[in-house]
Amino acid sequence: MDLMLSSEQETIRDSIRDMLRDRMPSERVRAVMATDTGIDRAFWREAGQLGWFGLALPDAVGGAGYGLPEAMILFTELGRALAPGPWLGSTLAANALAKDETLKGTLDGVLTGGQLVVLVDDPADAFGTGTRLDGTVSGVADLGVADHVLVVGSKDVRFAAARARGFTATVELSMDPTRHVGTLTARGVEAEMIGAHAAALRRMATVLTAAEAVGVAERTLEMSVEYGKVRQQFGKPIGTFQAIKHRCADMAVRAEVARAVVVYASVAVEEGEADADFHVHSAKALATDAAIQNATDNVQNHGGMGYTWESDAHLYLKRARVLEHTCGSRIAHLDALAAPWRAAG
Amino acid sequence: MEIKFTAEEEAFRAQARAWLEANVPREARPEIADLPARRAFDMAWQRKMFDAGWAGINWPKEFGGRGASLMEQLIWYEEYAKVGAPDVNTGFVGLKHAGPTLIACGTSEQKAFHLPKILGGDVVWCQGFSEPNAGSDLAALQTRAVVDGDHLVVTGQKIWTSFGQIAEYQELLVRTDPEAPKHKGITWVICPMDAKGIDIRPIKTLAGNADFCEVFYDNVRIPLANVVGKLNDGWRVAMATLSFERGTAFMSEQVRQSARMAELIEVARTVPGPNGKARAIDDDEIARRLALARAEVEAMRAMTYRSLSLAARTGMPGAEASMIRLFFSELIQRIDRLAMDIIGAAGVTGFNPNGSSRNEWGEDYLTGLSQTIGGGTKEIQRNIIGERVLGLPR
Repeated sequence: MDLMLSSEQETIRDSIRDMLRDRMPSERVRAVMATDTGIDRAFWREAGQLGWFGLALPDAVGGAGYGLPEAMILFTELGRALAPGPWLGSTLAANALAKDETLKGTLDGVLTGGQLVVLVDDPADAFGTGTRLDGTVSGVADLGVADHVLVVGSKDVRFAAARARGFTATVELSMDPTRHVGTLTARGVEAEMIGAHAAALRRMATVLTAAEAVGVAERTLEMSVEYGKVRQQFGKPIGTFQAIKHRCADMAVRAEVARAVVVYASVAVEEGEADADFHVHSAKALATDAAIQNATDNVQNHGGMGYTWESDAHLYLKRARVLEHTCGSRIAHLDALAAPWRAAG
Repeated sequence: MEIKFTAEEEAFRAQARAWLEANVPREARPEIADLPARRAFDMAWQRKMFDAGWAGINWPKEFGGRGASLMEQLIWYEEYAKVGAPDVNTGFVGLKHAGPTLIACGTSEQKAFHLPKILGGDVVWCQGFSEPNAGSDLAALQTRAVVDGDHLVVTGQKIWTSFGQIAEYQELLVRTDPEAPKHKGITWVICPMDAKGIDIRPIKTLAGNADFCEVFYDNVRIPLANVVGKLNDGWRVAMATLSFERGTAFMSEQVRQSARMAELIEVARTVPGPNGKARAIDDDEIARRLALARAEVEAMRAMTYRSLSLAARTGMPGAEASMIRLFFSELIQRIDRLAMDIIGAAGVTGFNPNGSSRNEWGEDYLTGLSQTIGGGTKEIQRNIIGERVLGLPR
C-alpha cells in the first residue's frame, strides 16, 4: 500500500505544473477567456505534443503508458491553473477511441491536440440509444469549441462531428467565463458507435472532474495562506488572527480530505477494486464540496479585493460551481451511495 | 501508487486476525462505574497479548515490543478493531505515552524497571499535565517542585487525570525553575501514586461517569532518580512522545467508526422516520447525511493510508496527522448527532445520572463532546495546522 505519488509521478506533476505556469498563467487565462472562442489552440497542440491526452493510454496506441492516477494528476493541475478548454472530453475521447482500431486516424487527431472533443454525459439516454441521436442535453461544457462530440449514454458510447447535420448547439454565456456551458440538440444525427464501456468512461470522467475540484480546493487554500501572510491590518498580518487562521486550517483539512479520496478513487478504479464505485461517488461528492467551500472562504479571506473581478478568487468559485454540475451533482452522488440502503427488505 | 498490501503483509494480517479471533475477550468489559473491575479486565487482556508476543506492537523489540513495521502496525490496528477487541482505555497512558517517553528519554534503570510492567499489564499509568490554569496553555503549569537532597518536593494541583484512582504511576510535569522562561523550567518526573501527600478526588463528567480526577500534591517527596531527561528539560521530554506515534492507531478508530456507521444505517432502516415516513432511511435528509458520513469515514481511511505512506518513506510523522485528528474528532460528533436525529425521542431516554446509561447512542453523543476538547482542543488543533502546517504567523 502506498498512496503518495511515486517519484515518477511527482516528476509528471512538476512538469505539468511548470508548463501551466509558463504558458497558462492567470493573465493568459484571462486573455483567452476574453476571446470569442475561449480556447488557445496553439497551447492545445503543445499539450498534445506533451502527451497529456494520452496519459492513461497504452504506448501501443500512442499513449504514455500510464493510467488513471496519472490522468488524475493532470486534472488536479488543470484545476489549479483554471486552464480553459475541453480537457475532459478530449481525454475521455482518446480513451474511448483507442478501443476501436478503425478509428485510429481520429484518435491521432485527438492525441496530437489537433481535434477538440467535448463530452456529452448522458446517463439518462436523453439522446436515445444506438447510432441515431435524437433529443436535447443541457449542461455541456465548452460546446462552442468542439470539433467532435463524445456521447456517453447509459450503455452506448457514440462519437460524432460537432458540425454533423442535425446538431444545434446553443452556447450560453456562463457564470464561469473560462468554461461556457451550453445545450446540444440532436435531430436524427448519425453517430458512430464505439466499442467502449460507458460505465468505465463515466467512472473515469467522474474521478477526473473530482481531481479538477481538488486543484481548485488546493489553490484557493494557497491563495488564502499567501494573502494571510502579507496583508496587514491592525499592524499585523491578518493570518495571525484566529478568525483567518482557523478558517485556513479548515480549508487545509478540506483540501486534504478531497485529495485523499480522489487519490484513493483513482487507484481503486485502476486496480479494479470491488468497491471502486463507492469511492468514485464519494470522491466527487467530497471534492466538489471542498472546492466550493474553499473557493467561497477564499473570497472572504481576501475581503474587499476578493469581491472584485480583478482578483482570481471569483474564477475559482465559478469553476467549482461548474464542476459541481459536471458528471453528477453532490446530491446525485450521495443518493447513489444511499440507494442500496434505501432498497426494501 | 497502490492500495494492495504485499503478500508478506497479507500473511501478517492473516496471522494477526487468527490470533485475535481466537483470543479476543468474549465477555463484556466492566462498566466505567466499576473501575477496579475494568482495570482487571484491561490488564488481563494486555497480559494475554504480552504472553503471545503481540503487546507493544510499535515498541522496539529490545524493549519487549513487537517491533512491527509501519504497515504491520496499520494492519494490526485494523484487524484489532475489526474483531471488536477492547480499545486500550486504562492502559493508554502507559502504552501510548509514558512507555514511549521512557524509551526515548529514560535511563536504562527506568526502562528496565518500568517497561516490562507496562507491557505485561502489571501497572496503570495516568497523566499529570493539565492544571486548572494550564489547559491549552500547558507550558504555564505552576505545580512546584523543589530539590531537597536527592528528592523533589512537589506541591500543587493537576486536573483531568484519567484513571488517577486506579493508577500506580503518573507522568508528572512540574515547575522546577520558576525564574526561567515558561518552557525552560519544567521537569518530567515519574510520580508513584501511593506517595505520601497525594490526594485524589474523582470528577464527575457531564455523562455522569467519574473516569477522571483532580490530584492534589502536598509536599510529595519523589526521588530525583525518577526524573526523566534532565531537570528543567521536561518540555522537550514531553514533546518526544509525539514522534513515536505515527498515526497508525487512527486505523482502529477508523474501523470502529465504520462499524458504527454500518450499525447506524441498519437502525435507520428499522426505526420510524420523521414526518410519518415508514423508516428513517426513507427521509432524504437522513439518507444523504448517512451517505456523507459513510463517505467521510472512508475518507479517514484514505487520509490515514496517505499519512502512513509518507511516514514509511520519511520515517517521520507527517504534519497531516493534525489534520486527520481534527477532521476525525468533528466527524465523530457529526455521526453522534446524526444518530440522535435518527433514533428520535428515544435519544433522550434511558439515562442514568450516575453513568453507565442503557442508551448507547445517547451516551456516545454526550461522551463524544470530549473529542474536540481532550488532548488539545479543536481550537488548539487549528492553531497547530495554521502555524505548523500552513506557516501562518503566530
